[in-house]
Amino acid sequence: MTTLAPAHLPRTREAGEHRVPWQSIARVNWLQNRGTLLSLALLGVAFAAAIVIGESTIQSPYASYVAHGCSAHPAQVACVTTAFANNQTFFSNLVIALRVMPVAIGVFVGAPLFARELESGAFRFTWTQSVGRTRHIALSLAVLALPVAAMTAVLGLLLNWYAHPFEVVGIESQWESGLFEAGPLVAAAWSVFALSLGALLGMAIRRTVAAMAATAVLVGGLAVASYVEFVHHLLAIAPIATTRLAPDGAATGLLNIPAYRNIGPPGAWYVAGWFTGPHGQTLSENASLHLEGRFYGCWTTKRTNGEVGCVMHWLSSHGYTYWLSYQPTGRFWDFQAVEVVVLVVLAIAFALSTLRLARSGRP
Amino acid sequence: MNVLETSGLGKRYRSTWALRECNLAVPAGRIVALVGPNGAGKTTLLHCAVGLIPPTTGSITVLDGFAAGSPGALESIAFVAQDAPLHQHLSVQAMLSVAAGLNTRFDEPEAIRRLTALGIPHDRKVARLSGGQQAQLALTLSVARSPSLLVLDEPLARLDPLARHDFMAHVMATVAEQEMSVLFSSHVVSELGRVADYLVVLASGRVQMAGDIDELLASHMLLSGPADDAERIARRFPVVQSVGAGRRVQMLVRVGRPSDQPGSTETLDAGWERDEVSLEELVLGYLRDPAASMLPGPMGQLPDDARELAR
Repeated sequence: MTTLAPAHLPRTREAGEHRVPWQSIARVNWLQNRGTLLSLALLGVAFAAAIVIGESTIQSPYASYVAHGCSAHPAQVACVTTAFANNQTFFSNLVIALRVMPVAIGVFVGAPLFARELESGAFRFTWTQSVGRTRHIALSLAVLALPVAAMTAVLGLLLNWYAHPFEVVGIESQWESGLFEAGPLVAAAWSVFALSLGALLGMAIRRTVAAMAATAVLVGGLAVASYVEFVHHLLAIAPIATTRLAPDGAATGLLNIPAYRNIGPPGAWYVAGWFTGPHGQTLSENASLHLEGRFYGCWTTKRTNGEVGCVMHWLSSHGYTYWLSYQPTGRFWDFQAVEVVVLVVLAIAFALSTLRLARSGRP
Repeated sequence: MNVLETSGLGKRYRSTWALRECNLAVPAGRIVALVGPNGAGKTTLLHCAVGLIPPTTGSITVLDGFAAGSPGALESIAFVAQDAPLHQHLSVQAMLSVAAGLNTRFDEPEAIRRLTALGIPHDRKVARLSGGQQAQLALTLSVARSPSLLVLDEPLARLDPLARHDFMAHVMATVAEQEMSVLFSSHVVSELGRVADYLVVLASGRVQMAGDIDELLASHMLLSGPADDAERIARRFPVVQSVGAGRRVQMLVRVGRPSDQPGSTETLDAGWERDEVSLEELVLGYLRDPAASMLPGPMGQLPDDARELAR
């Protein structure tokens, strides 16, 4: 039997006196997740290559479009945009792929991040090291959020560069749901959001595959919901209303469309349109349709020459007013910022919940 | 100075108490064996000590006052969990790097030397190591942190006899080199006497016995005598366990600590024999009677005869 003299037990430090540097945590996370991160980086490189190839195929038609001054006079024969339309499918697929990227990040990086340790029991090793679980979890999320956000931001920038000719031609708009959320900042925020939500689900479910499945369903579902609903509601906040624009195309109800070329404020986003009658009352949908039928002839014949004065004259002479609400192009980055802030705040809330779960001692 | 102190410590999982009213003070510089049957609360106590789980009631401090799980405590406590769970998908070398990255103090060269001496290939995945090698790797990673307190949860449970011997030899060598305290839980009572010098017995979530092993052994005795006379003996000595065999009975009794009692006379009656108790007999005797307890404290509660017999 061994009996030792009482060991010298210095109080080595008070809380927080020395800390494991973030670079060490970054290295640990690299060691633990390098397979996933390398795969993701390869995916990013392939994605970037696809964007560059796609853009190169419309360089020539776009140069021709610009050379012929088509932006100002799109009706010329030389301004036929068939080449753009053909390339648009490829472009749209890339937009969809960039929207799927956060889902992949949530599923393959976020969900297994802590679930794998909890499932294998390795958290009992990690969480009892000097670094402590709070710092380890917080720094792990931070050091992984940085590269995934940077990667998606770069891809978002490239995709917007690719989108520019389509926007000039008028067959894509930065305001439309897909492209709106493929902007560099929003795409990066979605990646951080998905990473954080995946990590939280992993911490809560404690089973890697189940957490990955839950993350796929939840992040995927939210991405779809955002595409279908959230962006449209966001862009409908506090629009500018005007009576100086004539009804054009789908003129009433929720429009959710970009301003037509050469009609309305350039680069704007039409939110809604409605008619008011001689007494200022808003017309119902049926009444609006009936009204449109009454000035339809004027609208179609004059419209071909770019004249809208006929419609405006007809409406004012009959006591009707057409209202259109829209977001001016100058507000685009404001709305981008709103979505980024919403996503980042949610990501921080998920990260705090993850920490809270870990500290609750549930494992 | 105590490496572990608990006061009214309790831990409840849903409606079940894993630990209850646990009061304990483990002195520094000892190799402490924590024993108890399955479900006694050993792992829960160790998890509380290293801060993996918070207590439901009471308090627990380590290393003379650090709150369990606090940064100051974590820096000086190393923990090897049951089955030594490590990152199975990493290589041994990567595991060393991970451990180095997660700690402010980590002697990587010494850890590499130790693993080389043990013949553990550095480029092999942790998952491909044997159970013994994984346990040795986990121990090496812990010891490389130069902790003041090394906590081991059932370190021998899945090791074969040779691996057990190697593992404990490693622990003993490290203790001798680094002057650390060790707290380990184990089912293997027969191994305890060889390595531990302080014993804590847990049963049904409560501390049943705690103290220096030499003192505990000296303060207990096996008495054998006629069964008819057992009741009279039981009135004189606190009986931990009594086993009848025909007309004779063998009783494990508490007789007090010799160091506490000056002078003595022999008080046993004719027909009774006394034997020293082994550590295994002592532990099993207490575990078979959860109502019995032996905790550090004044000897005044013992009957006079028990004190005298101890001399």
